[in-house]
Amino acid sequence: MTVLEVQNLRKSYGSVQAVKDISFAVEAGEIFTIIGPNGAGKTTTLEMIEGLVQPDGGSISYGGLSWDKDAEAIRKLIGVQPQAEAMFDLLTPQENLELFASFYEKPMSVIEILDMVNLTEHRHKKVKVLSGGQRQRLAIGLAMIGDPQVLFLDEPTTGLDPQARRNIWDIVLALKEMGKTTILTTHYMDEAEKLSDRVCIVDAGEIVTLDAPEALIGRLTKEREVRMTFVNGDIAAEEAESFAGAQSSILRTERIGKDLKLWTERPEEALHALFGFTRDRGWRIDQVSIREMSLEDVFISYTGKEWRD
Amino acid sequence: MSALKQFRSMFLTHVKMTLREKQVWFWGIFFPVILMVIFMLIFSGGSDDFKVKVAAVADASHEGTGMMLAQLKQIPVFEWIEEEPVTRAYAEELVKDKEIAAAIVLPSAAGDTSLSLILNKEDEQNSTSMAVIGLLNEYVQTANLMAAGAEPVFSLDVESISAGSDDLKYQDFLLTGMIALSIAQGGLFGMVDMVEMRRKGLIKRLRMTPARMGLFGLSDMLMRLLFAVFQIILLSLIGVYGFGATLHIDLISLLIIFLFGALAFNAIGYFFSSFSKTTEAYMGIANIASFLMMFLSGVFFPIETMPGWLQPVSKALPLTYFVSGLRDGMVYATGWLSGAFWFGVGVLVLWGAVTFLLGSLLYRNRSLTAR
Repeated sequence: MTVLEVQNLRKSYGSVQAVKDISFAVEAGEIFTIIGPNGAGKTTTLEMIEGLVQPDGGSISYGGLSWDKDAEAIRKLIGVQPQAEAMFDLLTPQENLELFASFYEKPMSVIEILDMVNLTEHRHKKVKVLSGGQRQRLAIGLAMIGDPQVLFLDEPTTGLDPQARRNIWDIVLALKEMGKTTILTTHYMDEAEKLSDRVCIVDAGEIVTLDAPEALIGRLTKEREVRMTFVNGDIAAEEAESFAGAQSSILRTERIGKDLKLWTERPEEALHALFGFTRDRGWRIDQVSIREMSLEDVFISYTGKEWRD
Repeated sequence: MSALKQFRSMFLTHVKMTLREKQVWFWGIFFPVILMVIFMLIFSGGSDDFKVKVAAVADASHEGTGMMLAQLKQIPVFEWIEEEPVTRAYAEELVKDKEIAAAIVLPSAAGDTSLSLILNKEDEQNSTSMAVIGLLNEYVQTANLMAAGAEPVFSLDVESISAGSDDLKYQDFLLTGMIALSIAQGGLFGMVDMVEMRRKGLIKRLRMTPARMGLFGLSDMLMRLLFAVFQIILLSLIGVYGFGATLHIDLISLLIIFLFGALAFNAIGYFFSSFSKTTEAYMGIANIASFLMMFLSGVFFPIETMPGWLQPVSKALPLTYFVSGLRDGMVYATGWLSGAFWFGVGVLVLWGAVTFLLGSLLYRNRSLTAR
């Protein structure tokens, strides 16, 4: 079942075309991630979908409901956790949740939410003394309080330490188990790869690709990067490089001191030949690795931009 | 029904935020109380009643001087050192020795209508001299009205002077000034949380929920009005019990001026918040506005004591009218029937309406172009 359908969305600010033509559909219960370089139009796209910004063209439909006619109904349907730390600092987490709960007809229980975002023991502290991770969890709790069908989590883990990030991941996955649909944006590729059912890469106001993370990675070239370090030093590495250069299975090589990198589409075959050569010479190899392709490579190959966070 | 639920929890939120904000306690409670206590201690000099020792000077006695003296003697602030008029030379001696604050020289001839005043040069600018000048001016104006022709009006006007000045103590004057100032500051400074909420994206956040923003603003306003009522009560208690101020409250005038005044200053604060990007910027603007008004609106001293060229500035400031309206409602117990009172209310309404509209316009324009 499609819960959100976006078609041919467009938006310009003056002469800048922030969003050129964006269309996608989000299915019930999935975690749908939008990634893109800074200035790609992610935020504008989200703000249009959240009803904060009026699109210049295109349509947004929540199962038939549109912002023009059914704004009130849509606001009850969605829960938004924005980037900024938009909450009442002088209130406690419990008071913040109680306030937001009063906006909805059938809110979730405050106790339940506190438990779910792991803030029960901090519920009487003022928000301003909470840590970044705790505030971020409260922000997710506030997005959930209205028991929404669709949740928008905008960079929920930015600036958090690894432990706090993992806590948020657990919450996001728990939401999925509850059957919620989540639309996520993130700066972290590993996060997108781990959490998302589908990833949508946006660049220059357009969708460049959209699919499951594994499918996106599989679609990349089959070329793999192999690295090895020689115990016997530079000369061994140098000879190994010239041997590798002559192999048909090896596409190209690169050497820095005793570290050798080579690229191949058939890593087993290339390594087999290379290991035969080094055994004959009696050289020892310290480390061998085959680098897996990641979503980051997908991102770079589609946008031509280095990922930065 | 759900609107009521929203309103209740929004109001509670505003109450909690206000009570937990240290700035509110400092600027809303501590600062006005300290300021009032300091001014009271400096200027009220510990004496209960504001009395000015004066003497009348008459070079020639005729019917006019007798009548004038009788009228002047009805002004209770004046303490007459001699029952009968004295000679000019003697009076000058008294002024020089600071035995009296001023000598009032009555007209010497029957047709002459000009009064003059002998003051000690050293004291020319002090508040006592100012008070004498103010009182005499009032008297002269009244007398001029009388001269224009209406006998009954004359006696009525003299009556009103005495009714007002019966309690003309600096304590009353300052207390009401401080109440007006603290309510005005509450409005000018109070909107800082709007800037903060906008900066943090909280307003945007609320707009993404089914929350009714109108109710949010209304509950905020209710909280602010209640806080201002609390300020009035607290400052009044300190003024009355700590410094012997006397209040004659006319509830209708007080309510009217309080409501319009508080709304006007909140609207001005709202206007400031609409174009301030940071809380620092907002506080800067609010401080400038507050200091300008504090000293130019007759909070501490009557406007009449200011240089003439500054007085038009005072007449444009909203605090001037708020202070004077509040005095009408709390000290003079007159007001809501007088034209001056309603003129003041009108000025406040104008200030409030214009700044509120400008503020709303700026808020709207900004949210449209927001990225």
